[in-house]
Amino acid sequence: MKRSILVVAVLLVLSLAVSASANTLTVYSSVDEENARALLNAFTQSTGIDVRFVFLSSGPALARMEAEKNNPQADVWLGAPSENHVLAKDRGLTQPYMSPNAAALDAKFYDPEGYWTSFYMNPMGVAIHTGWAERAGIEMPESWYDLLKPEFRGEIQMPTPQSSGTAYNLVASMVLAWGEDEAFDYLKELHKNIQSYTQSGTAPSQAVAIGQAGVAIQFTPAFLKLMDEGYPLKLIFPKEGVGYEAPAVSIIKGAPNIEAAQALVDWLISVEGQNKLSELKTYFFPVHPEASTGEGLPAFSDIPTIDYDALWAGDNREYLVNKWIDEVLRGQ
Amino acid sequence: MLSTPAAGRRLRPVMQDLGRLLREPWLLISILLIFAMLGIFIILPLIKVVDMSVASDGSPFEIYTNLFKSWYMRRAFTNSLLMGALSALTSVVVGFILAYTVTRVNIPFKRLIDMIAIIPIISPPFVSSLSILLLFGNNGLITYNLFGIRNFPIYGIRGLLLAQTVTFFPVAYLSLKGVLEAINPALEDAAFDLGASRWTVFRKITLPLAVPGIASAMLVVFIESLADFGNPLVLAGSAFPTLAVQAYLQITGMYDLPGGAALAVTLLIPSITAFVLQKYWVSRKSYVTVSGKPTRSTVKAVGPVMRWVLFGFAMAICVIVLGFYGVIVVGAFSKAWGFDYGFTLRNFTYVLDVGFETILDTLTVAVTSTPISGLIGMFIAFLVVRKRFLGRSAMEFTSMLSFALPGTVIGIGYILAFNQRPFLLTGTLTILVANFVFRYVPVGIQNGIAALHQIDPGIEEAATNLGANSQTVFRRITLPLISPAFFSGLVFAFVRAMTAISAAIFLVSADWNLMTVQILNQVGSGRLGAAAAFSLLLVGIIVVAIIVIRLIVDRLFGVRFETRF
Repeated sequence: MKRSILVVAVLLVLSLAVSASANTLTVYSSVDEENARALLNAFTQSTGIDVRFVFLSSGPALARMEAEKNNPQADVWLGAPSENHVLAKDRGLTQPYMSPNAAALDAKFYDPEGYWTSFYMNPMGVAIHTGWAERAGIEMPESWYDLLKPEFRGEIQMPTPQSSGTAYNLVASMVLAWGEDEAFDYLKELHKNIQSYTQSGTAPSQAVAIGQAGVAIQFTPAFLKLMDEGYPLKLIFPKEGVGYEAPAVSIIKGAPNIEAAQALVDWLISVEGQNKLSELKTYFFPVHPEASTGEGLPAFSDIPTIDYDALWAGDNREYLVNKWIDEVLRGQ
Repeated sequence: MLSTPAAGRRLRPVMQDLGRLLREPWLLISILLIFAMLGIFIILPLIKVVDMSVASDGSPFEIYTNLFKSWYMRRAFTNSLLMGALSALTSVVVGFILAYTVTRVNIPFKRLIDMIAIIPIISPPFVSSLSILLLFGNNGLITYNLFGIRNFPIYGIRGLLLAQTVTFFPVAYLSLKGVLEAINPALEDAAFDLGASRWTVFRKITLPLAVPGIASAMLVVFIESLADFGNPLVLAGSAFPTLAVQAYLQITGMYDLPGGAALAVTLLIPSITAFVLQKYWVSRKSYVTVSGKPTRSTVKAVGPVMRWVLFGFAMAICVIVLGFYGVIVVGAFSKAWGFDYGFTLRNFTYVLDVGFETILDTLTVAVTSTPISGLIGMFIAFLVVRKRFLGRSAMEFTSMLSFALPGTVIGIGYILAFNQRPFLLTGTLTILVANFVFRYVPVGIQNGIAALHQIDPGIEEAATNLGANSQTVFRRITLPLISPAFFSGLVFAFVRAMTAISAAIFLVSADWNLMTVQILNQVGSGRLGAAAAFSLLLVGIIVVAIIVIRLIVDRLFGVRFETRF
């Protein structure tokens, strides 16, 4: 017994001893694992600053930052749509830094006080499984309203705005572009054709890839990635326009390595960092007007987009999501 | 026979117990140490979560009343209960039929069936839900390619029930197999000799004797299914909300930590009720008597027709389980899972490239937490069954409690409790290890207690009389005697350290990441093949680890025993 207690004690102490070392930048990344790794490696090569990161989607990242408020474990929160960074700012989890490079960006891509800076964009897209479309004799839809046709019944997957920022972006963009009544009338009609509202913002792309669903609605990177892997998908941007997200980067309040954190923000929105988005095949669109979009992606200006207001969207989130639950989902 | 604590014992002066403890300082210290650890790693996080859920400006229960004003959250609550009850029912029916077939019916391939039936226990999360889609979905191998059904409604309660049954029937199977094996066949044989029909024997003898075991298995599956969120996350969609998923989504989707905590705390009510029922009511009713290895007499139990029906049922279950895993194997080696089945190794090169450090991290976490969990489990069992001290039943209850706590509650509780001095643990290996140790130690304790009840304390008393103190008795006598329970505790701890995600997802860090979290990320970013490859590696590691653990336990105690976990 003495020995077993000793073993336990030694193991516990050992595990305590192996803890974080200083002087490397620690990043909570809501950018997916592979792209975050590629981008941050390029940053290290360019600046010599070592980076450690862990992937946490928006919710866990925010929960983590909130729980660690008194003792921040990370320096930077990378990725997640800008409205989530607005939330982090409002909750006092981040600190301002106005990068000199931000001047080159459109004003909608950074917080006027410097709390967050967007560093890439993703448009919303509709993907159709071509094998299914051929079998079912479906004409490729061109408009959001084409998706209301009966041949799409039970074939469309999209995320639910309850849990997914992607889906909320879709709802909020439609309300912004069409007005609340028309947007909700549309969503109620669309509801009849929905096979499932997924909890994760990227789940519809998997379902459409394996033919579980005929149609999927979400942001484009996972579609582009799956098409690259060989899945039979066709990507469409409905002609009325699509919303887009502009994921941002924030420096966490109390960050242990503030200079390295600022260097990362500077690099991400520099022309060099922005060009890496296409060089590394991230499928992300740059926010810097001088950066190249790269091959395989349509020029962002060719995509019909709806201008998005992250602040408005953040303020109306609870109202719109609850309205969606009560009016659209309850119809089920 | 269960040795119930005699009423007289409780009346004995506490001082006498204390006096005995003071003569053995090591025993006293280790009891205090265990209490301290249970307090820090189970009670403190729980208090933090409850505190978070009531800490608002208005009335203390404002968050709760606001949440449950919504019809959606009320539906989540009833759905959770419905789902838990239904999956408990289906899992136990499947588990019982299989267990009965394996223990009472003379059929071929018993060992094989036994092996296949426990495979889902080591199943990695999320990927099994994907294989359900690939097998039973709109484009599914079975539904579409075999039967030509295009619109099989896999989302919602049907698909979820299917997934939950496949995931949880092995839990029921294992415990019911133990129950049925423990019923002395001589009782059934006697009834046959007295001229009872097969149906009468089953209805009047076998079933009544198994009822406490069945009820217990149902409650355990109920608890596990209530807390599960991997399958519902993928298969339920928002048409069928459940509490465990909503608690997670309230935090991850609405960014509302107090609301999520409140939902998770609500989940505790049915969960702890079931736990208390299982622990203090059903398990007390056990009629099971064990004396040595049961002798088998299974020839007469079922007729020839029934025999083949049961055999067919067992085979069907095996085919479904193998189908599940077959799909994952295929996915790991395919160019585009679900579409282009051309052979490739690129998923593995990608996984080893991107995830090699994560694999090492996961192994470190599992290898560290497994022996700690195993030893603490056996030691608590030893204390609870063999020693008398103040707070003994409190120790048992607390140590078992974490089994009833949903992973989300524990995960949130851990980051809340351990992010400041004196317990500054966020981002370390310790927090992951502590989570796995205390979350999954109840299974080891349970096994240890059961094993100890079957061992005559006389052997240990003899050693004590010959001058051995408690630590020597535990190390030299008790531990070797209950080494099968020790083994199963170790295996369970390892399996869960490798596959659990609901709490761990809040605890991983830049230094310490886990394979399950990586699998979730790969699924999330559309790399299905990589997720399958990760899962396959995970299962491979677990299988190797079980063999290694077995060799080590064999070597340590020099005893051979049957694999049971």
